[in-house]
Amino acid sequence: MNVPLTHLLTLAGGLFFIGIWCAVTRRNLIMVMLGIEIMLNAAALAFVGASLRWQQMEGQAVALFVLAIAAAEVSVGLALIICIYRRYRTLDPAKVQ
Amino acid sequence: MQTADFTALTPLLLLAAAIAAVMLQIALKRSHILTIVLTLAGLIAAMLGVLAVGDMPARQVTPLVTMDRLAFFFIGLILTATAATALLGCRYWEHAVGQCEEYYLLLLVAALGACVLAAAHHFAAFFIGLEILSISLFTLMAFARRRMASVEAGLKYLVLAGISSAFLLFGIALIYADVGSLAFPIWTARLQAAGETVSPLLLIGMGMTVIGVGFKLALVPFHMWTADIYQGAPAPTTAFVATVSKSAMVALLLRLFAPVDFTAEPALFWTLAILAFASMIVGNILALRQDSVKRILAYSSIAHMGYLLVAFLSGGPAAIAATVFYITAYTITVLGAFGVVTVLSRTDADADSMSDFQGLFFSHPWLAGVFMAMLLSLAGIPLTAGFIGKFYAITAGAQGGIWWLIITLVLTSAASLFYYLRIVVAMFSPPLENKTQPPAAGISYSGGLVLTVMTVLLIWVGSAPGPLIDLIGRITQ
Amino acid sequence: MDVNDPVTSIATIWPLMVFLLAATGLVIVMIGLSALLGQRHWQRTTGEPFESGMLPTGTARIRFDVKFYLMAMFFVIFDLEAIFIFAWAASVRQLGWFGYIEMLIFVGFLLLALFYLWRVGALEWGTKR
Repeated sequence: MNVPLTHLLTLAGGLFFIGIWCAVTRRNLIMVMLGIEIMLNAAALAFVGASLRWQQMEGQAVALFVLAIAAAEVSVGLALIICIYRRYRTLDPAKVQ
Repeated sequence: MQTADFTALTPLLLLAAAIAAVMLQIALKRSHILTIVLTLAGLIAAMLGVLAVGDMPARQVTPLVTMDRLAFFFIGLILTATAATALLGCRYWEHAVGQCEEYYLLLLVAALGACVLAAAHHFAAFFIGLEILSISLFTLMAFARRRMASVEAGLKYLVLAGISSAFLLFGIALIYADVGSLAFPIWTARLQAAGETVSPLLLIGMGMTVIGVGFKLALVPFHMWTADIYQGAPAPTTAFVATVSKSAMVALLLRLFAPVDFTAEPALFWTLAILAFASMIVGNILALRQDSVKRILAYSSIAHMGYLLVAFLSGGPAAIAATVFYITAYTITVLGAFGVVTVLSRTDADADSMSDFQGLFFSHPWLAGVFMAMLLSLAGIPLTAGFIGKFYAITAGAQGGIWWLIITLVLTSAASLFYYLRIVVAMFSPPLENKTQPPAAGISYSGGLVLTVMTVLLIWVGSAPGPLIDLIGRITQ
Repeated sequence: MDVNDPVTSIATIWPLMVFLLAATGLVIVMIGLSALLGQRHWQRTTGEPFESGMLPTGTARIRFDVKFYLMAMFFVIFDLEAIFIFAWAASVRQLGWFGYIEMLIFVGFLLLALFYLWRVGALEWGTKR
């Protein structure tokens, strides 16, 4: 009783667009980071779906790497955001420039 | 794994060992000079590793990486550029921030990521290499943390790189769903076999991958923050981004798309051709209107990636060799140009505005000469490496018959002379009266060494390109 | 056994159904009985979080020390490195000694990073020496 690939890819695609929407429209740097995280996780989901289709482990391994790397990216991002916040007292990207 | 696998991986293993050594050294005893020595020792050891094993037959080590001559050439290029950046950074970082030892650590990590990227044979290796490189770059850019422009550049690059990585990954996932393998050759073979009837999954995946690569190479519709990032980042980091991350991406481009016959793939050809066309036009036009030297160099780098794509797209027998030659010449030139900017920078801000360079000839004639040589090479004036690179690109394009791209290349190069010469004219005009002189402390030995080496290489490659062409010819057979 | 056949699927999952009903029923009985039998009062301090306890002061939206964020970042990174150890543990027999040595190198790098963090004082809560 497998979930068909199209369903998984549709879900992942939907998540990806939510992520882009969040990253591009929100006026808060934390929310921009959150959007990027959602996009990355959508990609990881698509990898899991694809590896299910071919019954391989490769895609799942990549999904694990995506998780670890997204965490590293968000840590560096948070550090930079704290730096920015200390100086500008705002997280609105429009005001930072 | 067998012994031969470890032999093939020597440069990467040495680099990883150097990272561990530098980290241990910083943890045990902080010392700027010791860190520099260890970093350079690691880089030189890895370079010797490249020289020792670079001539062996191509070997695929695990499904992830292939160590062939192309990979070794790019690893050598990346290591050289990293060593140059580290040397340039010596004097620059001494007073700019309190503790600067981590800069070299991050530089080594970024170099390792770029090397993995250059040798990648599999999408997993590609993604890991890319992210090791990018995540180190965010920190390298934000390293001058007392300057807000630097932190902003890091954050902007992080957002940009995050979005582009997500696009790339999603594209790769779709391709994987269609093809059933993450290895490059299988994917390329599938693309070849598909011809004009590409399945929608593969098409969307390819489109998203091209968007991701476009962001990384800063091609035109995806170039938004390039100038801000180049301007805000500390000058040594800018030199590193412009050379190492670009050449690693070019290596990847060669691996992914070089086996594809572009005449059978019009969609891919036209996408890349339009990106190249737009990059040449927009990059040069935007550079005309700038007053900041770092921004001019940023826009010129966009245009140069366009020129490089012309060589790449020609598809003729000389395409790969021309691309490799172009990126080599470009790396030498940009390292020299940003080297001059670094050497002239003060502790509180980088040398950036035109007024910082006004009258440079009278205060530092030697530096002005080097910078002029670099700018002329970027413009493609004969007797410089840039000229041979452009000439080679045009020849390859002519063999491939893409005349409209060649004409764009020639016309935009002519226009680019204007903004390069503006900097040259500023350097030779009399110095401003009220200007606070940059500290006449003189140039550090390390910075001087880098500039000398780059200038010698520039003129040597420009006047006698034979050996380099032979070397590249052997690599790209 | 065909899991898609409705009869067999109900036959196999009936304990789950019973459990679900029992759990829901228990909750309904507990809340319903206490509502029916219990007494009610409405006085001055009834609405406070800790009735006849400490009075809450200030808002919940206070600023946290930046060190909390630092610790959270370290935790997230080291925590996620553990997934690679899990992946190795799941296939430890196939990987053999070679995989074991690889994992030792990986853990060694993590330990080196931890040592580095400790030495640069990132793990200290108080002011730096």
